[in-house]
Amino acid sequence: MNPVRLRERAAITRALREWFDHNGYLEVHTPTLVKSPALEENLEAVSAGGAYLHTSPEFAMKRVLSSGLCRIYQIVPSYREEECGIHHSREFTMLEWYRVHAGTAELMDDVESLLRAAAGAVDRELPLFSRRSVQSLREAANLTDTDDEVEWFRGWVDGVEPLLTAPTIVHSYPAWQAALSRERRGVADRFEVYIDGVELGNCFAEEGDPTTLRHRFSLSSAKRRQMGREPHPVDEDLLASTPQMPRVAGMAIGLDRLVMALTDATDISQVQVR
Amino acid sequence: MGRVYQTSDFRNGLKVEIDGHPYTVVYFQFVKPGKGTAFTRTKLKHMVSGNVLERTYRTGETLIAADVEEESMQYLYNDGEFYHFMNEETYEQVAIPAKSIADESDFLVENDVVDVLYYKGSPLIITLPNFIESEVTYCEPGVRGNTAQGATKPATLACGATINVPLFIDQGEVLKIDTRTKEYVSRVQK
Repeated sequence: MNPVRLRERAAITRALREWFDHNGYLEVHTPTLVKSPALEENLEAVSAGGAYLHTSPEFAMKRVLSSGLCRIYQIVPSYREEECGIHHSREFTMLEWYRVHAGTAELMDDVESLLRAAAGAVDRELPLFSRRSVQSLREAANLTDTDDEVEWFRGWVDGVEPLLTAPTIVHSYPAWQAALSRERRGVADRFEVYIDGVELGNCFAEEGDPTTLRHRFSLSSAKRRQMGREPHPVDEDLLASTPQMPRVAGMAIGLDRLVMALTDATDISQVQVR
Repeated sequence: MGRVYQTSDFRNGLKVEIDGHPYTVVYFQFVKPGKGTAFTRTKLKHMVSGNVLERTYRTGETLIAADVEEESMQYLYNDGEFYHFMNEETYEQVAIPAKSIADESDFLVENDVVDVLYYKGSPLIITLPNFIESEVTYCEPGVRGNTAQGATKPATLACGATINVPLFIDQGEVLKIDTRTKEYVSRVQK
C-alpha cells in the first residue's frame, strides 16, 4: 500500500465528484447485494448468501431513472468472479453515470471532459482522444472477418488493443456485441474508452424495449448454458421499469484502472488497499 | 499425455511443451475485452534457442507441462564440442553440446556445481550458480587510486568470459561475478 498513490486516488475521486456536481449529476446509492446480477455470458457474479454481489450497478441505476431523475452517478465497489491480473481484481470500484435525453455522442464529450478533470487533479494532461470505429481498427490490424466469437476477441486482444496506445474512443461495435445497448444502422450504439491499450470503460445508448431485452437475456442464458455456466435469473423489476425509462445513455469506468493510468501504476494492487 | 496446465496455473518460469519443443513462460497477463471471453497473453521462450513466441490462450485452453527434471551436477571439462558434467553422488556423467549452452559456457568454472535440466530424460540446458569466481588472465595494468565512478576496462577471465571491470583491477586477481547480469561484483581476497 503506497500512501502517495492513495492520496492521488483520493484527489482523483474528489475531482470526479466535483465534475459530476458541477454538471448537475446526483449521487445515488443502490444495493450491492442483488437477486439478479448481469446477464452477460462472460461475466461471473460472486454469490453471497443465496443472492449475488452486483457485477456493476447498471440494473438498479436504470430503475432509478424510471423514477424521473435525469442525471445520476455512483462510485461503488463491484465484484466479478474469475477475474484476477494486473488490470483485474475480484473486487474493484466502478464509476457509473447515466444521462437522460442523451446518446453516445453526448457521453463521448462527457467522458473526455471528466477524464481531463481527473487528470488535472494529479497534474497530468491528456491529449485529445481519437475516435475510431471497430471496423477501421480491425482493418488497421489486418484482421479478416470471422463468425467465430472467440477468434474475433483473440484478434482484438492480439491485434487491435496493442494499437490503442494513445487515448482512444472506440465506437460502432458489431450488433452481436450490443449487450444492453440500442442497435442503430446495423451496429451496436456503444463505445469504449482506452488509454495505454487498456480498456477503461464502456458506454451504451441504452436499449429500453423490454421485448428486445428479454430476447437478448434469453440468448445470453443459452450461451451461458452452452459454456457450462449457471444462467442468472432475469431481473423482472428491470424489465417492468424500462418502458418508463426515457432515452438515456450510460457509462461505466473502472476507477482503479483510471487511477492506474493517471499515476503510471503497473498493477491494480498498487492503487487498491489489499 | 502428461500433465496439463490451465491458464490460471500460468506463472513466470513455468516449463511447457509446444509442438514438441520445450518453452519457459517469461510473461503472462490476464486480459478480458469488455464484452468478451477471457484470455491470457503469454510470451514463451524456447529453452534452447531462446526464440520468443507470443501466444494468447483463452481461459479453458491448456498447455502441456514439459517433462523436465533438474539435477545438481559438477562441471568437469569440455572437448570443444561437448561440455561434460558429473553427478557427485552416482558419478554418472553426461555431455551437453556446446551450442545448447553457448550463453553460459563462458562462465563455467571447472568443479563448480550447476543445475542441469533434463527434458524427456536427456540433459538439455544448464543454470549457472548465481555467483562464480574466476581469475583475470588478461587486462591493462591497474590504475591505483582511480575510483572514478563508472570508468571500466575489459578483462579476460580464466573461465573464458570477457567482462568490464573497474580500472584498479590487475591481472592475476580473482573476481566475483554475478552470472545473471554477467557483471563484476567484487575482488576476492586470496
